[in-house]
Amino acid sequence: MLLHLKNIFKWVNSGGQRVFLLKDINLEVEEGEFISIMGPSGSGKSTLLNLIGMLDGFDEGEYTFLDEPVHTLKEKHRANLYKEYIGFVFQSYHLLDDLTVKENLEMPLLYKKYKGAERKAMVADMLDRFNIVGKKDLFPAQLSGGQQQLVGIARALISSPKLILADEPTGNLNSKQGEEIMELFKQLNNEGVTIIQVTHSEKNAAYGSRIINLLDGRMI
Amino acid sequence: MFKLYLKIAVRYLLKNKLYSFINIFGLAIGIASFVLIMLYVNYEKSYDKFNGSENVHRVFMDYLEGGEFVPGDANAYIVSGPTLKDEFPEIEKFVRFRRIRNMVVLNNNTPFDGMVGSLADPEYFDVFDQGLVKGDESTALSKPYSVVLSTPTAQKIFGDTNPIGQPLKIAGDDSVTFTVTGVMDNTNRNTHIKNDVLVSFSTFYTWTIFKNDWNYTWNQNEYYTYVKVAPNTNAELLNQKIMAFVPEGFEFKERHHLEPIEDIHLYSNKPYEVEVNGNGGNIKLLSIIAFITLLLSWMNYMNLSSTKSLERAKEIGIRKVVGGKKSQLTFQFLSESAMLNCLAIVLALGAVFLLLPAFNRLVGQNLGFTGNQFKGLLPYLGIMLLGASLAALYPAFVLSRFSPAKVLKGQLQTSKNGLHFRRALIITQFVATISLLICTFMANKQIHYLKNRPIGANLNQVIALKGQILDRAYDSIFYNDFDVLLEELKRNPYVAEISCSRTYPGDDFSNTNSNIGITFPNGHTDETHIWYNYGARPGYFDLMGMDFVAGGAYLPTPEKRSHNVVINEEMVRFMGIDNVNTIIGKTINFWGQDWAVKGVVKDYNHFGMKSAMVPMVIRHDRTTQNILVKLDKRATTMAGADKALDEIKNIWDKVFPVSTYKYTFLDQKFEALFNEDRKFTKAFQIFTVLAILIASLGLFGLTSYTCIQRKKEIGVRKVNGATISEILQLLNQNFIKWVGLAFVIAVPIAWFAMDKWLEGFAYKTTISWWIFALAGMAALTIALITVSWQSFKAATVNPVEALRDE
Repeated sequence: MLLHLKNIFKWVNSGGQRVFLLKDINLEVEEGEFISIMGPSGSGKSTLLNLIGMLDGFDEGEYTFLDEPVHTLKEKHRANLYKEYIGFVFQSYHLLDDLTVKENLEMPLLYKKYKGAERKAMVADMLDRFNIVGKKDLFPAQLSGGQQQLVGIARALISSPKLILADEPTGNLNSKQGEEIMELFKQLNNEGVTIIQVTHSEKNAAYGSRIINLLDGRMI
Repeated sequence: MFKLYLKIAVRYLLKNKLYSFINIFGLAIGIASFVLIMLYVNYEKSYDKFNGSENVHRVFMDYLEGGEFVPGDANAYIVSGPTLKDEFPEIEKFVRFRRIRNMVVLNNNTPFDGMVGSLADPEYFDVFDQGLVKGDESTALSKPYSVVLSTPTAQKIFGDTNPIGQPLKIAGDDSVTFTVTGVMDNTNRNTHIKNDVLVSFSTFYTWTIFKNDWNYTWNQNEYYTYVKVAPNTNAELLNQKIMAFVPEGFEFKERHHLEPIEDIHLYSNKPYEVEVNGNGGNIKLLSIIAFITLLLSWMNYMNLSSTKSLERAKEIGIRKVVGGKKSQLTFQFLSESAMLNCLAIVLALGAVFLLLPAFNRLVGQNLGFTGNQFKGLLPYLGIMLLGASLAALYPAFVLSRFSPAKVLKGQLQTSKNGLHFRRALIITQFVATISLLICTFMANKQIHYLKNRPIGANLNQVIALKGQILDRAYDSIFYNDFDVLLEELKRNPYVAEISCSRTYPGDDFSNTNSNIGITFPNGHTDETHIWYNYGARPGYFDLMGMDFVAGGAYLPTPEKRSHNVVINEEMVRFMGIDNVNTIIGKTINFWGQDWAVKGVVKDYNHFGMKSAMVPMVIRHDRTTQNILVKLDKRATTMAGADKALDEIKNIWDKVFPVSTYKYTFLDQKFEALFNEDRKFTKAFQIFTVLAILIASLGLFGLTSYTCIQRKKEIGVRKVNGATISEILQLLNQNFIKWVGLAFVIAVPIAWFAMDKWLEGFAYKTTISWWIFALAGMAALTIALITVSWQSFKAATVNPVEALRDE
């Protein structure tokens, strides 16, 4: 099992009242799954995704990732865990504007203490795999949305994570670009990468092997 | 509309308490330091400014020093004034002052001491624009034996009775009676030549205490002489003529020279000045610091306001969407700026009032917002208002320029230009900060160096006793009593050693004779260089702990004086002799007499650490001027010293019951010679700390701006595995670069400034590299601490917040 959420609650206090963002979430994810999280705005999709990605905490429950109890881990250990196993893809790509495609891809490796030559090889490999060798010296602003998201996915994949978390990866793209990205996810999933995506689109959700529906923080 | 703006401004300031505090506080510090420094600077500049002062000049003497004329003496001759007036029609009037130091006035045998007096010509009132409260200016100083008193002196001596027409005596010759003819109010007068008592100059020719000087014309210069020239006189041309002028009976080894009276306090530092003058260089440096601090605080204000403005982008967007015009928005923010600036000014003035007493203690002045001192500040008020409006305009323009469409979409407008501008501001601030730091460290090092430099004499535990005997003349009976006093003192257990001398290291210039003309042992006569001499008893050298490099002290003789002398090493060099031992026993000639050299004493600093070594001759003399007492070890404690001083005073009073008495600790008096510089250094330090504080506030502002701007980047990097320390490094490295750049710019500026400042000292400490390194490190540390406060906050923020797609 890759990860296991057990009776997860998350809330905020607002005006003396407890507002629940997530209520009693129970979820098991096996390696190699492709899961789509769906639900209306404000239902807690992104919150759940951030929680799985260890960017956000929770108030009650247990979270086990690769048999490690995340809720009891120290900050540093947890950081190492997600650094090694998790990659993020965002709706608005979040590439660094002042860095070229190549540098954007290299950036995560800088924080993982790879040697210069290794980094170069890994970046070259990734550029090659995504067919963007010709764009390696361009800045994000010089790319189309689809191309930018391609770079975003390449960046998420560069240190070979077990799990990719994608928050509406096609939300800013037109339908053709969106289809291409989904095809890419499908292909990655076939290669063994576990994917959890948040999406509004039934069509995109269909690419996955399982759909989780959220409403007001509850799984239905 | 305006009321609405005001309401929004007040709410905004209250909501952002830290920001408002930093902003107003920073401005207030800048303005308060500026006002304080300028009060001091104006006070120093206001010396000898009175109605017509631009036409008043002092006559001083240039001496021929090795073939070149140098300022040699602030005094002129008794005939200088009248002679120059006769020769040059441009000179309308002259006043001579002959100082009567340590004057003791007797009113019905009650002595009043601690006053400074002068003989003065009757033109004094006109030349110095000094009126009388009581008496008639045209006659007050015309008759012999007339005196004019200052108001406090008149009050002290006569209380509430009208002093006009009252008789007075002056100790030294109580056979004559003086009459008070006037009272002048000169308490608010800011002048280098201060007088409590003026005696009519005509008294000189019959008053017996001056009888030795009656026949001198061109051979004794003891007269401070001031001339008033006709309006619109070309002073430079007149000066040229006067310098070339050789009066009859005057040898052209010297020449007369004029200097504006207004410049004396700040720019004159000649031998025999009336008092220790101020330092024009220090005043200039302080003014520069004042402007820098003010400038820094404005830069800060611009920086912080435009930074904070980003948070108000939404407000501006909404205002624009609903139809607010750019000019209206500009006006809104301008009025907000004006309010903030006014608040800062009010706060600053309050701070000045509170700090003024402490500041006065520090600089040893009595500054205040009274009359003239306040008026002097008015021109700067204009500068302040102009600067404040410029500083206020910048954020107002930046704010009103935002495009509403972008702003409302949540895109912060972080223009590159704005960032460059702010970056330049920060670098400028750090250039100033680092320069000030270097200067502070250097000035401290110099003071430390002067304090610890060996004087060549041991002044510890040495006191000088001085007094004036009021009830009899200085005759043989006096000399006998004086010997009794010395014997009694010597027997006291607190007294280790005792001797007498005319003067001592650190004493006033005026107690030392300056001479030109001496014949060396080889027969060569030097007529062009100044050298100095004074008399001392044989025990003097031992008591002062002076070392001999050859020979020794002269021996006591029954007459208590002889034609034996001790000279210093500089004198040996002056005579061009290489081996000091060869001079012992040789004869030199001056004052028309032969003197035998008995010893060569190691060079010691007679005139303090600011003057270079001078050739010095110490004569064997029976002087009674100062009794020097070396206190015993028992007197090293506070209580011991008090007891010793008590007993010494008792012995003195027993022998001379009717007398004045004063004691001076020599080490304190010597150190007082660089009090000015110490005060200056202290003031410098304080304002440096303030400047650093202001610069740190600015840096704080820029960091928060950068952190807002890079919020997204930080988030992305963190999601991709960057740790907090890696983010901190990323954010801080730029600031380190800027401090580095500022350091590179600041070093030559500070080096140049300090090199100039050190020129004023005869003994300079070295400008060491570690001072620069230390200042650089200090600035870097301060910068890092300031920056890290903000960047740590940015680095620890949850990236989810930064990367939310909404």
